[in-house]
Amino acid sequence: MAADLVEKALKAGAEEAEVHVAEGTEFSVDVRLGRIENLIQAGSRSVDLRVILDRRTAHASSSDLSKDVLNGLVRRAVERARLAEPDPCAGLPESGDAPPDPSTLGIYDPELSSVEPRTKIETAMLTEKLALEDRRITNSQGASLETNASTVILANSKGFLRDYGVTHCSLSLGLQAGGTNDRVEDFWFSSGVRWKDLASPEAVARTAVERTVRLLRPKKIKTQRLPVLFEPLMTSWLMGFLFSCVSGTAVFQKATFLADRRGEKVGNGLVTVLDDGLLPGLPGTRPFDAEGVPCRRTTVMDQGVLKRFLCDVYASRKLGLKSTGNADGGGVGPNNFYLRPGGRSAEDIIASTDRGLLIVKTLGHGLNPVTGEVSRGAFGLWVEKGEISFPVSEITISGNLERILNDIQDVGSDLDLALGLSGPTIKIGEMTVAGT
Amino acid sequence: MDENLFGLKKSDLEQALNLGLSKGGEFSELFVERRAHTSLLMEDDIIKDTAENVVLGLGVRVIRDGQTGYAYTSDLSEEAVHAAASTAASVAAGGAPRKPFPLKETIPVREPDPLRIPSHAAPLEVKIRLVRETYDAARHFDPAVNKVKVSLSDCLQNVLIANSEGLLVEDRRPMLRLGCLVLAEKGGRRESGFSGGGGRVGLEALSEAMSPAAIAADAAREAADLLEARDAPAGEMPVVLAAGHSGVFIHEAVGHLLEADFVRKKTSVFWDKLGRRVGSGEVTIFDDPTLPSFRGSYRVDDEGTVPSKTPLVEKGVLTGLLQDRISARILRRPLTGHGRRQDFTCPPLPRMSNIFVDRGEFDPEDIIRSVKKGLYAERFLGGQVEDSGKFTFTVSSGRLIENGRLTRRVKHVTLIGSNLDILRKMTMVGSDLAFGLPTGTCSKDGQDVPVTDGCPTLKVSSMTVGGSLED
Repeated sequence: MAADLVEKALKAGAEEAEVHVAEGTEFSVDVRLGRIENLIQAGSRSVDLRVILDRRTAHASSSDLSKDVLNGLVRRAVERARLAEPDPCAGLPESGDAPPDPSTLGIYDPELSSVEPRTKIETAMLTEKLALEDRRITNSQGASLETNASTVILANSKGFLRDYGVTHCSLSLGLQAGGTNDRVEDFWFSSGVRWKDLASPEAVARTAVERTVRLLRPKKIKTQRLPVLFEPLMTSWLMGFLFSCVSGTAVFQKATFLADRRGEKVGNGLVTVLDDGLLPGLPGTRPFDAEGVPCRRTTVMDQGVLKRFLCDVYASRKLGLKSTGNADGGGVGPNNFYLRPGGRSAEDIIASTDRGLLIVKTLGHGLNPVTGEVSRGAFGLWVEKGEISFPVSEITISGNLERILNDIQDVGSDLDLALGLSGPTIKIGEMTVAGT
Repeated sequence: MDENLFGLKKSDLEQALNLGLSKGGEFSELFVERRAHTSLLMEDDIIKDTAENVVLGLGVRVIRDGQTGYAYTSDLSEEAVHAAASTAASVAAGGAPRKPFPLKETIPVREPDPLRIPSHAAPLEVKIRLVRETYDAARHFDPAVNKVKVSLSDCLQNVLIANSEGLLVEDRRPMLRLGCLVLAEKGGRRESGFSGGGGRVGLEALSEAMSPAAIAADAAREAADLLEARDAPAGEMPVVLAAGHSGVFIHEAVGHLLEADFVRKKTSVFWDKLGRRVGSGEVTIFDDPTLPSFRGSYRVDDEGTVPSKTPLVEKGVLTGLLQDRISARILRRPLTGHGRRQDFTCPPLPRMSNIFVDRGEFDPEDIIRSVKKGLYAERFLGGQVEDSGKFTFTVSSGRLIENGRLTRRVKHVTLIGSNLDILRKMTMVGSDLAFGLPTGTCSKDGQDVPVTDGCPTLKVSSMTVGGSLED
């Protein structure tokens, strides 16, 4: 069907055409207090189309795959492209190297489809049950188990026609502890490509319980500047923010403070950041991106020096660079984007901190790529003489990404690449923590 | 019933609903939708891209004893619909089959709001003109403006909802959104501003306060003003929320935790507080899906319930919740028409529509005058809340209040608090109720739905402001 639609678009007057077909199955179960809340099972298909003529672009997509609807979409897309304006950077990628064989990447688990719904439901039930056995846990937000399998087919008018399959599964649990008016909550999860990548119900339950109860009886603290440590999940959002600042789209739109800084030192020597679409067996891995450009390993920052912006074909042409295989359909997306780990364990980093705040959870959206400003609500654990001493709530942390990258004093060894955007525990020399 | 819309006859629907009940389900429901969405984007001085998206699909929900089975398909053939209904039914495997009531067509009580110039039917050239007008106005507003991005999108959603209690209802929901993003640069500093217009309206609404020129000026002014703004202070202080945009504060701090799923699960801090005082006597909060043409408005919710203006907090007392069917049944409370879903792939959840703090009696200027040293919060980036009541929201721009007067501009600061505490501290409510930009979207459990928030000028006597001490 993908190749047929490319053909149709060319017949309708397009000079170039690209068609994506995605087909998938979804299973998800939410259980709470030992009962099923929601059980979702379905299959879906959708098609995405891009046409270009005279450097003018139009897009269309549909989940209605009837012939008449698709024919109409193709015809109208070509008509709309005529009304757009020529853009010298528009167009499909030049034909290039062949992408790797998907079967070498370990991104599809053939066994996932044979896991019975009953097993999935029981896994979620068991995870919650184990957590509720801990008497400090006073309520459950439920446990969820999700599995997905999908096939991506990409065809274009330059003769590209390839497909690959991916699977993904996750197990998560949200808990509360404390009474109605002094309640705390947190969650934990495990995710991966293969069913056997999932952590055991015991492990997920244990971590979710620990993360929740450690927040009980928080104190407020005075507004101050002090050393701040990020747990891996926190470094993960910081990397997500860094990604949005080095995305080629943001760079050509001048919507990032790093737009004119390539080649400059924007962090200290501990900061090496990579984007790698070829690491086997990870959720961020794929043979080629949404435009058919082979995925690769890109060094984004090397010991603090900003080396490379991540691009799709359009951003790369805008910036006079090469695509890095980061097209995600609507623009630029990460593959496995991570901060390279250091040698010390998180325990060692905490033990070497005389006084500081370990950030364990954040709330809100206060990230501004245009300025690099960070300002978020946070929950933390007070660190005193190398030991965790009490939880802290109702604080915000604020700073600037460039200053943070220049002020990283320690990078841990505890990197979990399954998060997609990831990084280990880090210690930042000083940030503003607002409290009372 | 318009039989051409989905090619489904009443008997097809009844059959699918029956199949949903075939394994002992108590309730079955079909949600069928077709959405046609078009959008265009102007950037770098050219109309760069246009898109058309079609969404067609059917979701089947079967409930038994509070447990939901859900399946969906984008293939509306009898075979595919039956397969989905059987899959959804299996959540209730083991019981005896039940019969649905015969379907009876319901007409939404209100007429659709008439659109004089429906955007989905307007020629692309007309929309290109509006986008270009907005773009040019923003580009020339201030010499510091160096980048503009304007997008216009419209959507027409047709839905059909049928359930085993005999309900059959159709609705037609238009949506329009014009958004303008401006980046400004001066002396090596960059800032951005955003504004927009729209709602469940036609292109005729893009005039006066929502004209392309007004939207462009609003976005460009925000970016230019921010170039002059400095970092905010940090610590506890009084915060005055500007009328209109500050509605997002109520959305986060109060609205989410009054969504009845969090109450029936007892995870919300409000679960045991219905009928009890939760805030200052100045505070009255409603959620009203029936406001004409608002972005969050609808004539029937996504479970087919006709909504009503729902009181949530009245003079500080918690009096209502936002209900969907499952929650209302478990809590034995009346339906309010707040069961909403992102699309046919999602089971409904209790959600806000247009939430607002009702007008109070204070003159907005007196509210500012009452503060010796504090923060005046004007524009927002959004926020987040957890069930425990802890919430944050981020102010994109504001002013300092010094000795009762607005002084220097401050930028990008996050406020944090716990909702019961903040509700008690809402000591002054202004008489100037206004609503925020008609471009808002709310996310919950991975589902996005359009919403609007509103509020008059409002004083919170003390909260934590997360500025930075440096500068």
